[in-house]
Amino acid sequence: MRNPDRETRVAVTGAGIICAIGRNKEEVWRSITESRDGIAELTRFPGETFPTALAAQVDDDLTGMLPIGHAEARRLSRSDLLAVIAAGEALAQAGEVARERTIVATGTSTGGLLEGEEYYFSRLVRGRRRAPASRVLQQPTSAPADAVARAFGLGGGVVSNATACASAGAAVGMAADYLRAGHCDVALAGGTDALCRLTYSGFNVLQAVDAAPCMPFSAGRKGITLGEGAGYLLLERWDDAVARGAKILAELCGYGASCDAHHPTAPAEDGRGAYAAMRAALGEARLAGVDYVNAHGTGTLLNDSSETRAITAALGTSTPVSSTKSYFGHTLGASGGIEAVISVLALGEQLAPPTLRLTEAAADCTLDYIPHTPRPLAMSSVLSNTFGFGGSNVSLVFARVV
Amino acid sequence: MTQRVAISGIGVVAPGAIGLEAFRALLARGETAIGEVTRFPTEGLRAKHAALVTDFQARDFIAPMKMRRMNTLSRYAMAAARMAIEDAGARSPLSRDCGVALGTAFGPVQTSVDYMQEYVEKGAALAPPQLFAESVANAPGSHIAIEHDLRGFNVTLTQRESSALAAAMYGASQIVKGSAESAVIGGVEEATEMTFSVLDRIGALAGESRPFDRRRAGMVFGEGSAMLVARREAEGAYGYFSGFGIARDTTASISDWGEDSGPVVRAMRAAIVDAGLTPGEIDAVYASANSTVRADRLEYRAIAALFGEKPPPVVATKGVFGEYAAGGALPLVAALIALGEQTLHASCGFESGDDEMRIDVVRERRAASLRNILVNSVSAGGGIVCAVVSR
Repeated sequence: MRNPDRETRVAVTGAGIICAIGRNKEEVWRSITESRDGIAELTRFPGETFPTALAAQVDDDLTGMLPIGHAEARRLSRSDLLAVIAAGEALAQAGEVARERTIVATGTSTGGLLEGEEYYFSRLVRGRRRAPASRVLQQPTSAPADAVARAFGLGGGVVSNATACASAGAAVGMAADYLRAGHCDVALAGGTDALCRLTYSGFNVLQAVDAAPCMPFSAGRKGITLGEGAGYLLLERWDDAVARGAKILAELCGYGASCDAHHPTAPAEDGRGAYAAMRAALGEARLAGVDYVNAHGTGTLLNDSSETRAITAALGTSTPVSSTKSYFGHTLGASGGIEAVISVLALGEQLAPPTLRLTEAAADCTLDYIPHTPRPLAMSSVLSNTFGFGGSNVSLVFARVV
Repeated sequence: MTQRVAISGIGVVAPGAIGLEAFRALLARGETAIGEVTRFPTEGLRAKHAALVTDFQARDFIAPMKMRRMNTLSRYAMAAARMAIEDAGARSPLSRDCGVALGTAFGPVQTSVDYMQEYVEKGAALAPPQLFAESVANAPGSHIAIEHDLRGFNVTLTQRESSALAAAMYGASQIVKGSAESAVIGGVEEATEMTFSVLDRIGALAGESRPFDRRRAGMVFGEGSAMLVARREAEGAYGYFSGFGIARDTTASISDWGEDSGPVVRAMRAAIVDAGLTPGEIDAVYASANSTVRADRLEYRAIAALFGEKPPPVVATKGVFGEYAAGGALPLVAALIALGEQTLHASCGFESGDDEMRIDVVRERRAASLRNILVNSVSAGGGIVCAVVSR
């Protein structure tokens, strides 16, 4: 087995995103600079009542944005469509790449569960034999990667990561390792998740949802706001990107992964797993620190305090930190992809996004969380955290291209 | 630099066999573990057969208080992991940075169904949180990490029929990279009424599994779990992961195989090159063939194209335990058993192939000199992962 050689540098040459604050990089970044969030009343499931009523939804009609035919689109799930839109944007930005040698690495927690639910409901009413089964075929979490690869004729391989909310971060890290080991020449890596009833209800019954828009790191924080969307990076080996004259947006220079081995849903209070992932990512990047941390920052009591502990242990207390989930909610399996794109944009713009609604930091949240408005910041590297159910933690480090 | 990753422990919860020795004996007998489904009603469905785990007692492997929090998928995986870790532990204990990489094609479908049933009956606010926590695909991997205090990477990969090999590729690559000294690698799957009936609706399932046979007419669903303990070095290893390769068939449609054997050739060749070998050094192929007309044709054409005039013997194991069994990990375990026994298994269900088939499918169990075995997984939807395991 070839070693994922650390000397081989990984370049980001494309990025694509769709979430509640925009349908592409330009729209998303404009919302970031204008401190405009995408949190509003949940309208996706009319007639159904949940204990809380907010979400960060993508309200646009997706069909007009698709780079694929109508007949194909009708067979895909909403998670698939979001993935195809974001991956398409990343691919278009990168320009001509060897599609036969391009892999798709996708993280998703739910895959086509939204369509799966609709099939379950339909079965309850119409019975097993009469419920329309066409879109339930896209329920498996492997479907979005297949859909992206189909949409763009990519022949390098597909690999899907279903590690709950850490899924997309792990997919991006895996793609970098496979590039370094020579298993592929190009990778579309990121994640996607559409809102669905099961997760909306599930986080509510866990009492992990804030009835008001989420307030990461705040004194009064009560939980997450659920979101949806997709984010993808186009990755290739540095020398290949230079050779074909591609514009390099950033370097992906560190990936670290760990497990708390503590609890099925709650993080370890001391942040040990998060610390281990950050240390591993920094070690791979050969950095002692970074200039900004895009935190997991979900807004739950446990996450924000344990993550603060972990960041303090790994980086001290002076590194600016923010949670962009205050803009677009917790996009679950997609969050690692969406926030990787945000991290790359922040590096490029030299502007650190803020944590919205942070008027008073909680007593157990003792870092510089960049409240309210973006902060111009000289950044040569940033770290993005993604943690998930099962105690899985992933950290990615990106460096500025100079 | 080329490195290998040692496999020092194996745990199996297979259709018709609990434990490695029982699975070894099942394969040696060359019998199928496929039988009529009694777990859920099959009336109105075309398919009525599956390869199901029987005689499994979760309490033999998991403490009762913990077991109550686990779905069937987690129980299979926990049991297989315990057996693998105990098997490896006889030689040396696991490091705390041990990672976990599991593959599953469908994950906890039954738990999602159960949750939505409660959602419909009681309302969105009153469904049980325990079911929600267990509805994520990585719940089995999480339980394994908690039980054995494994604090390295912990990922669950899903790539249909290739899920377990995708997990093995990732887990082994992290050991080679140095992210962890060891890893629990494997796969898990559960045969549920929901998955079974949907696959039946699209005509994917058949009543019997006959990989590579001219009478093949579809796959049979299998379940269970298999786990391997992989480490950088180990005394008395079962074998080694020595190479992996991936590719994708761009002609594949959403839930079916394509027609282009070229990508299968590419993935096999990539795995062999990754192992630092040439095709002539491959002593046998443990095939992906699952008794589906198109998938098996794709694979035998690819094997013939890669190996030319003298292809190595090919063993198809899914006639024993069906497709998806242990998330696709059982063919890998079978190949490791073959390496240890220096004996090729019989391809259960195979009698004679298509007229155009130019490969040597092993009919009867036979002794062979085996150093390197190529293990294939070719998925509906186009994904392909191949591995080389070596003595």
